[in-house]
Amino acid sequence: MTNTTPAVENILEVRDIHTFIGQFHILEGVSVFVPKGSITVLLGRNGAGKTTTLKSIMGITPPSQGSITFEGVPLVGKRPYTVAQMGVGYVPEHRAIFKNLTVLENLQLSQRTGNDLARKEELIFELFPDLKRLIQLPGGNLSGGQQQMLAIARALVPDNRLLLIDEPSEGLAPVIIEQLMSAISRLSGQASVLLVEQNFRVASKLADRFVIIDDGSSPVTGLMHDLVKDEAMIHRYLGVA
Amino acid sequence: MKSQHYSIYAIILIIIGLLIVAYFSSNGNMGTFGITIMSGLFQGMLLFLVASGLSIIFGLMDILNFAQGSYFMLGAYVAYDLQHPGGAMSLTEIIPDPNLRFPVAVIIAVLIGGLLGVILERGLLRPLYARPIFQLVLTFGVSLVFLEVIKFIWTTTPYSWTEVFGVRENFFELFGQRFSTYRLFVIGIGAALIIGIALLLQRTRIGIIIRAGVEDSGMVEALGINVRAVFTLVFTLGCAVAALGGAIAAPFLGASPTIGTTFLIQAIAVVVLGGMGSYAGTAVGSVMVGLAISVAQSAAIGTDFSALPSITPMLLLIVILLIRPSGLFGGTTRSS
Amino acid sequence: MAEQRSIIDSSARPSLLIMMLRENWFYILVVVLLIAFPFIVGALTESSPYGVPRGDRMIMRGESVRWQSVLIEVYILAILTMSYNLIFGFTGVISFGHAMFFGLGGYILGLSVEYVAIDNGLGVGVGLLVGLVAGVLICGLLGLLVGFVSLRLRGVYFTIFTLAIAEMFYIYFSRWRVTNAEDGFALTDLPTWLDPTQNRLNFYYIALILFVFTFLFIRRIVNSPTGAVFKAIRENEDRAQSIGYNTLRYKLISITIAGMLAAVAGMLQILLNKKVGPEILGVAYTVDPLLMTIIGGIGTFNGPVIGSAGLHLLDVFLRDSTIIVFGSVVEISTIWNLLLGIIFIVVVIIFPHGIVGTWARWRARRQTASKALRAGRAPDTRLSQS
Repeated sequence: MTNTTPAVENILEVRDIHTFIGQFHILEGVSVFVPKGSITVLLGRNGAGKTTTLKSIMGITPPSQGSITFEGVPLVGKRPYTVAQMGVGYVPEHRAIFKNLTVLENLQLSQRTGNDLARKEELIFELFPDLKRLIQLPGGNLSGGQQQMLAIARALVPDNRLLLIDEPSEGLAPVIIEQLMSAISRLSGQASVLLVEQNFRVASKLADRFVIIDDGSSPVTGLMHDLVKDEAMIHRYLGVA
Repeated sequence: MKSQHYSIYAIILIIIGLLIVAYFSSNGNMGTFGITIMSGLFQGMLLFLVASGLSIIFGLMDILNFAQGSYFMLGAYVAYDLQHPGGAMSLTEIIPDPNLRFPVAVIIAVLIGGLLGVILERGLLRPLYARPIFQLVLTFGVSLVFLEVIKFIWTTTPYSWTEVFGVRENFFELFGQRFSTYRLFVIGIGAALIIGIALLLQRTRIGIIIRAGVEDSGMVEALGINVRAVFTLVFTLGCAVAALGGAIAAPFLGASPTIGTTFLIQAIAVVVLGGMGSYAGTAVGSVMVGLAISVAQSAAIGTDFSALPSITPMLLLIVILLIRPSGLFGGTTRSS
Repeated sequence: MAEQRSIIDSSARPSLLIMMLRENWFYILVVVLLIAFPFIVGALTESSPYGVPRGDRMIMRGESVRWQSVLIEVYILAILTMSYNLIFGFTGVISFGHAMFFGLGGYILGLSVEYVAIDNGLGVGVGLLVGLVAGVLICGLLGLLVGFVSLRLRGVYFTIFTLAIAEMFYIYFSRWRVTNAEDGFALTDLPTWLDPTQNRLNFYYIALILFVFTFLFIRRIVNSPTGAVFKAIRENEDRAQSIGYNTLRYKLISITIAGMLAAVAGMLQILLNKKVGPEILGVAYTVDPLLMTIIGGIGTFNGPVIGSAGLHLLDVFLRDSTIIVFGSVVEISTIWNLLLGIIFIVVVIIFPHGIVGTWARWRARRQTASKALRAGRAPDTRLSQS
């Protein structure tokens, strides 16, 4: 028998979903399990279906088949705002912060009760100290890295228990990426994280579990510390390591 | 942002240009000049009431609501009918005092406009969210149906306002000319709304939601906000405000089946000039287009160009689309 | 040996002509019926398709003649609607100003005949020819210009632009002294062979020929590589561009052709009525093709024809009928536009693919279902295409 680890319940269970965008069959049976408190990463080449998986969970591109449960509650068929209100925070690719709103307004927008921001203020400014001095500036004036921090901070304002983060390191300088990575690993105490990350170095340092998405299916899943030793697997599914 | 500076210079230049033309066409007579300006502001405020809904609805929901002009026209007819005896729904028996009757008529017109707005959005537009081409075509179709229903109920004969009531009849004297207090009243309501809506957008939570939604309504929904309910609210308010415009315009413009299209095209010119989805652009654009029409009217008196005032908004539209389609404060206009 | 081979070859493969006939038997049948129509009606109602003789002229009296007019109106409407379908249905571009091509075509022909030719003694024939060519070219050019200015922008700007320009034309021609402003002017002297008040049968066949020509022409274009690009643009313009197509050029081609065809329709209209007035620039001639394209079926060939024929015939049949609304008698003709608008809204929401489109999809669905049943699987009635 291998080492027994106490069974951890999964906060998110995606079972065999099929998602169509228009007439294209993007996801052909994807399964993802995110244990509570973990950082799980979706790996795979461009166009494999990682972003679509996140969007399917969120309800933006709903699956036509399969099931998705969050804390035991089914998500398929619910509108994105309902999914969000259940405690899921979405940080899409390219940040999606509101450029014409100030940093403060961006944060205020994501509150679900009146005092969310007041309660979380300390945590947010601890993780992202830059945001404090930028608080009155319009989002469009922030650098790429600052916008990314704002996007993640925004997802922390309400009491989200699961964060879906899509390619946070994309287009950012290495120094900024380091800051982001430390922030993300610290916030995994607050919430479970399902990450999409193209940059394998970042992914391998942050995540404890991985799921490989390849051509619309999810052939391999497991522990990150096993994957980093498996050069053949990395090369096969992720192209150049 | 250089582009903003360019816009502000352009606005100042254009307004000065209009004022100059107005001055010369009134032959230096300050009284006539004043009338032209006030008439322009009057028209501009009415336009704002129609264009603000058009602009915000377009920015937020990506729908060009062709029925916006119809709601204006509806407001005019309802207010007219309520105020005058003998119509389909006259209030003359219930409220004998015309001074009291008018505000009530306006309020009822606004409520009816709002009700029909909710019905339109929830009943007809919501099923079409996934098919934007059809939404455009649908609002066009709805505007036709509105027109036909109005012609059916009230015939095609234009109605002139005959009921006398206090505010409408008062005048004040300036530069030897009599100015109508009522125009001032309408300008005041328009200005109050401009400021009020601006405050709403900047200071309230729903305002933040709307401004964010104009940028990216999908992300707003992903943050846990029921964006579709906001769509319905904004659409309804847009229609109600347009109806308000028609109702308060009626004592001066009367009610006729053509005012819907007229105001719609003018409002479209305003929204394109100001920049689709830009609130400041709509406010400024309304004043500019209103002034331009009024100046064209005074310049065209006695000349051979009697058609000029009617086609001024279209000329403006064409010129803007040729030079700077994003308008004064707008965003991207490229097709991809 | 060579002879044997050739005998075997030619009997194994039917000639191209026979294949074409077999594929299009329905259309050929319809055309034959339409050709025979005036005589069929004439026989059924005992009236002459040539009209009634009075002195040395023919007067247009009688059921057959009357029904010829109805069908001519259908042909004109169908040409206009098919031209609209080319831009709206096949290329995915919405124009709210199609009336400008229709009306401008009519005005140019009218002006050429009445003012240029007759006033200068050049003869009506010259006027007609010049007017025809000038009208088609000018309207094509107009389409090109309008498209060039506004098709590079987001779709809604093009729609607004066409609406504004058409409205401007309407207002301008309503006030232009030269053309008698609102009252318009009449075509006083048409050659006998063309004049529908003297020889409606000829006019009927001319209209029919143009109708069939338009149908075939559009079908040819849409089924050509150019047409394939049109459809690609309609489906997803971004993708078409990324493949490398200059989508602006194709949209311009589409609108230019549509403009020219609409101009021809407008010319037929003024010849039929022998009158030119600003109403031919009115919004009705934008709304009608739009409605009929949608009701008939966007992006289909038969759709616009069925839509225009169906609605116009319905209009003619119901014109004198009445219905009871809220206890009072209402003439259908007064609420016809209202009914049209309501039908339009219902179709847009419930049957967006129109009559022909919905029927085609229903048939396709049944085919895939029965295929699945035959293969022993439960039918997946969800179309993989939206």
